[in-house]
Amino acid sequence: MSGIAKDSVGARGHRDWPKHAIVGCLILVELFPLYMMLQVSFKDNAEFINNPWLPSNPASWHWENWAFGIRLIGPYIANTVFVAVSGTAFSLCFAILGAYFFARYKMPFSGVLWSAFLVLMLLPSVANIVPLFTLLKELSLLNTLTALIAVGVAGGQVFNIFVLRNFIEELPKDLFEAAEMDGASHFQQIINIVIPMSGPIIGTLAILAFLGKWNEFLLPLIVLRDKELFTLGVGLIYLDGEYVKQWGQIMAAYFIASLPLIVIFLFCMRLFVRGLSAGAIKG
Amino acid sequence: MAHVVISNLVKVYPEKSGPGVRVVHGIDLEIRDGEFMALVGPSGCGKSTTLRMIAGLEEISEGSISIDGKVVNDVLPKDRDIAMVFQNYALYPHMSVYENMAFGLKLRRFPKSEIDTRVREAAVLLGLTDYLDRLPKALSGGQRQRVAVGRAIVRKPKVFLFDEPLSNLDAKMRVSMRTEISKLHARLGATMIYVTHDQVEAMTMGDRICVMKDGVIQQVAAPLELYNQPENIFVAGFIGSPPMNFFSGVLSRVGSEIWFSEKNEKSPPIAFALPPALTTGLGQSLNRTITLGIRPEHIETTRVFGQKDTDYATEVTVELCEPMGAETLLYLTTGGTSFVARVHPLEAYSSGQRVRMLFKLENARIFDHETGRRIS
Repeated sequence: MSGIAKDSVGARGHRDWPKHAIVGCLILVELFPLYMMLQVSFKDNAEFINNPWLPSNPASWHWENWAFGIRLIGPYIANTVFVAVSGTAFSLCFAILGAYFFARYKMPFSGVLWSAFLVLMLLPSVANIVPLFTLLKELSLLNTLTALIAVGVAGGQVFNIFVLRNFIEELPKDLFEAAEMDGASHFQQIINIVIPMSGPIIGTLAILAFLGKWNEFLLPLIVLRDKELFTLGVGLIYLDGEYVKQWGQIMAAYFIASLPLIVIFLFCMRLFVRGLSAGAIKG
Repeated sequence: MAHVVISNLVKVYPEKSGPGVRVVHGIDLEIRDGEFMALVGPSGCGKSTTLRMIAGLEEISEGSISIDGKVVNDVLPKDRDIAMVFQNYALYPHMSVYENMAFGLKLRRFPKSEIDTRVREAAVLLGLTDYLDRLPKALSGGQRQRVAVGRAIVRKPKVFLFDEPLSNLDAKMRVSMRTEISKLHARLGATMIYVTHDQVEAMTMGDRICVMKDGVIQQVAAPLELYNQPENIFVAGFIGSPPMNFFSGVLSRVGSEIWFSEKNEKSPPIAFALPPALTTGLGQSLNRTITLGIRPEHIETTRVFGQKDTDYATEVTVELCEPMGAETLLYLTTGGTSFVARVHPLEAYSSGQRVRMLFKLENARIFDHETGRRIS
């Protein structure tokens, strides 16, 4: 039996090598920019021009590029972390409340309300930029991080509620009824039933929301004026313009900016992959 | 403990068009203090809906429910002082057994020491002490159901509600849990309302049984009364396994006797002179179609224990024989009516065999053919 299994596995492995080769090539293509960023970040411009493709001798690595990069984009990272973390947290808090409402309450016209809500998903966010700018101006929120958080929280609601509502609806109705009999209010049901049982999907949405806010470019570009308030997306663009000749410093800064995402991805790969499929459902 | 009174209870589920679906039709029921009331009936008869209205999980369309004299129609479930055990256990999967049982008390802000005492007492009572730290997924079906019962017990509610709690268990576990719940009722002396579609559960557990059909109560009575004195054909057919046999026929007066003649156009019909005890009140049913009901254990072979071959014996054909060990179920036919007899397992029978069967008609019941109500 084991012999058969071994033969079978061996045969499949033999048959699969072209697929493996193709996947390997794709991975190399994907990793190439990362490799270039990393190896260039340790060079000065002269080394980069003479030897752009291969790493330089570790003895001559320019660690000062990294020190410069950290000093340069440190404030941008701090701003981005503040916007992304608080935006994600608020966004999910509101989304859970909204999703619970849509999942548990059936009232006249709730179907119509839900459909109207879903229509918002069809509106391209770029189409809202001008009215959004006007609104933020009216609210005196231009050139503030609060504007980024508020817009991020509001903008993420439709997708988050859409995914969470479906998930909450799938939770056994008996659990909510048991909690009701146990004396739980709606808020207590959210805290004690919905959140613990929706951990994976909330984690997935949190990662998606965090990534979206971390990579946000257009909104900060329009809203922010002061350099001290820049988030990474905008900050890196200006970096490119100002330090165009110092490739090592720029690449070090880029790499540092990518590091948090790489770390998050490595630790939350499963949630990230699930997030991709959640996105697929949305489409 | 508490006493529950249901008055003219109606439940109507709204429809997109039309007046709505009426699933409970104005029922009246009184559950006494400390009583174990079993609500039984086929699927869709409204028993679970009634229980859920008592729990407060369904709105009441009309009528009222009162617990200990207080009308609770508009009282939230958590404020009715009742606990419910669900068919699917409804245990919180992310909480340990201890946390599941303590959850209700924690929400009611009981002191930690009191919660601990109550949970551990319930765990001892239900044999769950060794499982308090486990998650529900690490428990068997029976253990999960015990946790669900424990969660109800710790709150010491006025009324316990059970919604088909044993239907997800295998046959052996069901029998064991049935006994445990009965013992629990005896020990706690609490008012319990138990919904089931299994008439064996209802018969073995209930102090009284409420039989429902199509949202209407058919009869409320103690188990044996229900079995022996069914008020209509539905109750007679629903309670008992195998169910009561029914023969459609006509009553006629022959001299001083009243005779029952089976309606049978395929073969010679069976006919009996009814025993005097059975003829009381049959005057208005003479020459009309009626239904004679007789339980399988009241039909026996004439050869058993040298029973006398009386006027109530007749020859019928064996369709199927099911030897059960302690008894044998004989599926028989008169040619026009099929029926079952529970006989002593003394002999083997084969299909097509002609046997002479004795009908113990003093135990038979007669029902009106049109209304289904018992007339004798």
